[in-house]
Amino acid sequence: MKHRNKWHTLAIWWLAALATVAVFADFLANDRPLITSMEGEIRYPVLNEYGVSLGWVKPYTPTIRNWYKQEPDWAIWPPVPYAAGASDLKNSNFRSPFAAQETGNRARHYLGTDKLGKDTLAGLIAGSRVAIFVGVGAVLISLLIGLLLGGTAGFFGDHTLRNTRAHWWGWSVGGLLGVTYAVISLIPFFRAAGAWSAGLIIISSFIAGGWCCAKILGRIPPFKKPASFPADSVVLQGVELFANIPGLVILIALLAIINRPSIWVVVVVIGVLRWPYVARFLRAELLRIRQLPYIEAARVSGIGRWRILFAHALPNALGPLIIVSCFGLGAAILLEAFLSFLGIGIPADKVTWGSLLRQSRSHPSAWWLAVFPGTMLTLTVLAANLLGERD
Amino acid sequence: MIRYFLRRLLLLPLSLFLLSLVCFGLRQITPGDPVHRLLPEAESRQANDDPSAYDRAYHRAAVTLGYDRPAFYFSLYNAALPDTLHHVVRPEERAMLRALTLRYGNWEAVQTYYRELRRLSYSSTVDREYLPTLRRLLLQDDPAAVAATLQPLAAVPELGPLLQAFNEVKVKGRWGDLLLPAFRWHGFDNQYHRWAGQILRGELGFSLADRRPVGPKIFAAAKVTALLNGLAILLVFLLAIPIGLYAAGYRGGWFDRLTTLGLFLLFGIPSFWLATLLANYLTTPAFCMDLFPSMGLGKLPAGAGWWSALRIRASHLFLPVICIAYPSLAYVSRHLRQSAVEQLQQAYVKTARLKGLSSSAILWRHVLQNASFPIITLLGGIFPALLAGSVLIERIFNIPGMGQLLYNSALERDWPVVITLVLLNGILTALGLFLADLGYAFADPRVRLNTPQQPSS
Repeated sequence: MKHRNKWHTLAIWWLAALATVAVFADFLANDRPLITSMEGEIRYPVLNEYGVSLGWVKPYTPTIRNWYKQEPDWAIWPPVPYAAGASDLKNSNFRSPFAAQETGNRARHYLGTDKLGKDTLAGLIAGSRVAIFVGVGAVLISLLIGLLLGGTAGFFGDHTLRNTRAHWWGWSVGGLLGVTYAVISLIPFFRAAGAWSAGLIIISSFIAGGWCCAKILGRIPPFKKPASFPADSVVLQGVELFANIPGLVILIALLAIINRPSIWVVVVVIGVLRWPYVARFLRAELLRIRQLPYIEAARVSGIGRWRILFAHALPNALGPLIIVSCFGLGAAILLEAFLSFLGIGIPADKVTWGSLLRQSRSHPSAWWLAVFPGTMLTLTVLAANLLGERD
Repeated sequence: MIRYFLRRLLLLPLSLFLLSLVCFGLRQITPGDPVHRLLPEAESRQANDDPSAYDRAYHRAAVTLGYDRPAFYFSLYNAALPDTLHHVVRPEERAMLRALTLRYGNWEAVQTYYRELRRLSYSSTVDREYLPTLRRLLLQDDPAAVAATLQPLAAVPELGPLLQAFNEVKVKGRWGDLLLPAFRWHGFDNQYHRWAGQILRGELGFSLADRRPVGPKIFAAAKVTALLNGLAILLVFLLAIPIGLYAAGYRGGWFDRLTTLGLFLLFGIPSFWLATLLANYLTTPAFCMDLFPSMGLGKLPAGAGWWSALRIRASHLFLPVICIAYPSLAYVSRHLRQSAVEQLQQAYVKTARLKGLSSSAILWRHVLQNASFPIITLLGGIFPALLAGSVLIERIFNIPGMGQLLYNSALERDWPVVITLVLLNGILTALGLFLADLGYAFADPRVRLNTPQQPSS
């Protein structure tokens, strides 16, 4: 490809624009004005909503449910004066972008409407927010797990992490016992219902159990022998076992039986499913990097191993890793669209590209519901793939 | 080679065991009460008219189905809990007992309260007016809510013992007991052992949705999916190998440039979008392009000859097969091209060329064999893709295959079918990866000799 750089720039611009749309979605498409003057008072209805949900400001009184029926002195509306989930019954039953629309003096439904008169363009804007959220969230989670495991495996290998046997056995067995004890006894004992307090109890009992066990085992002679932790074998074995799990099938089964669908579950599950790719890639990268002369030089000059890993080796692997993450971003967005097209996992009131596509199935002649979300999805996946291509 | 083979073979049962644990876990956390759904209709209808008869029927069914046994070979539990909690067969009541005991730590008092509550709930002496409240209490695990419910009933003489029992629970709390853990070995008479044994013997149970046996139901769907995917894979290999090889062989030529761009675009277009577009525009009269019959596999008229049968099937299968095939086509030919390009720079290619072999002979005889890694990967990935990839395509084209079955049963919470499908898919995934690894080892001796090499990805 000769014009590689030109296309790369385009892909970066597309993703950046999409991220901007996702961040400012509420200011681009909303069923209330951005700024308006009512009864001599300047109001910021969209900003006010944010403030209310954060608890910083009080809602305007009296509460206005339908801004379309208000008659303010003047008002600046968002470019798309419709909210994603809000129905417009006057323009219901699949109104085409070119058909006559009864919108009064408001802007037309530029990209048509669906059965209940929901605006397609507003749906696309809201959908880009869901897509970016799921994509970025899943990539971050997979990076978090993958960086930790793949980094340790690749950098330390099987023979570098050396300590006494008591240390390794104590921390792994004792830590496990500590966590088990916390779950079955300590959490009910302290009546820790919240996630934070339960997490605190689990972590502290892991530390306590591991420390005690390592100390006790340290007194037994056979455990005083030095041993190395086979980080590479353990992680590779984990990746291999994980690869045997039919991820997508379990994902469908899991999401379908969860009672309350939530976008967070989707993010976490996709992120967890994708960590082996990151771990495997980073391991290979670090295997290469750790043999480079500058790492050797750092080791000789007495810099600590963990510091070499985080301050010198990982930054060198970061560039390729970002490229791979772009690929992961595309895959996660695709998977999210896949799930919402099936109608599982994502809450029913959230409008996504996949859910718009699903609606087009029930009404094939509404071409705008099939073409626009699909184009957005395709362009995004293509852009991500282009950036993620390794050469 | 033998050692490598054995090591991989040893991993297989381990992954299958882990997979069965995952499936069993899924089965345990599935909401909904399987015993209730499997009760004969005459008995499950009693739930409202004759609760005590229903309770007896429920208990009988739960014992027959093995739900009164411990879940696993051993259990690690809080010492305040009894080791026989699994004998309480109703899941909601079990949850209530567990919550109350973990709150107050006094199992004896909770047990007295529970016995009193059950006796009163199904007795004929208590005024009928209170029965619904009492039965709701059987499910109530929040002590504050229990107290609030019991408060107005304090004046009723029959319920005196119940209130007293609940007071005992609250007053005689033994909080300290909660600090002790307990371990118990249950032996082989447990739910997991029973379930795994049934699966191994091929008794897959009955679907909760229509009470048909699971095995034949899945087999019927699997035939359709296998046909669909088999055709798609055939198509992929027939097209991808020549495309990849020729694009590499004539690198930089018009064919290469065209296919590289085209395959990149194809790889990026989500198959379910293309499938939606094709299904919307080519199978419905909405845009006057009703070229293909819509949806399903088509009905064969009785006594149809093989030619008309083939025509009907082919017209129904054409679009789905294309939609399943093209992402894999793009994937395989792109990777094949890449590795063939690498191979073409090797010395042996130059030798072959100097020997006077034609380019096509070099490509087909020498380069293909060495560049066949992506093909092996695809072969390994076929089995998992068989189900997962065709979920959407089968839904869009309404084909009664395994993907459709998985989707429908997952939505209906029909766990015997879902679990069997997950398990089947897991076995196929593990087998596919195993075969792919063996294939790698045959194609590339470096893998089996386990020499250090730069991993390619």
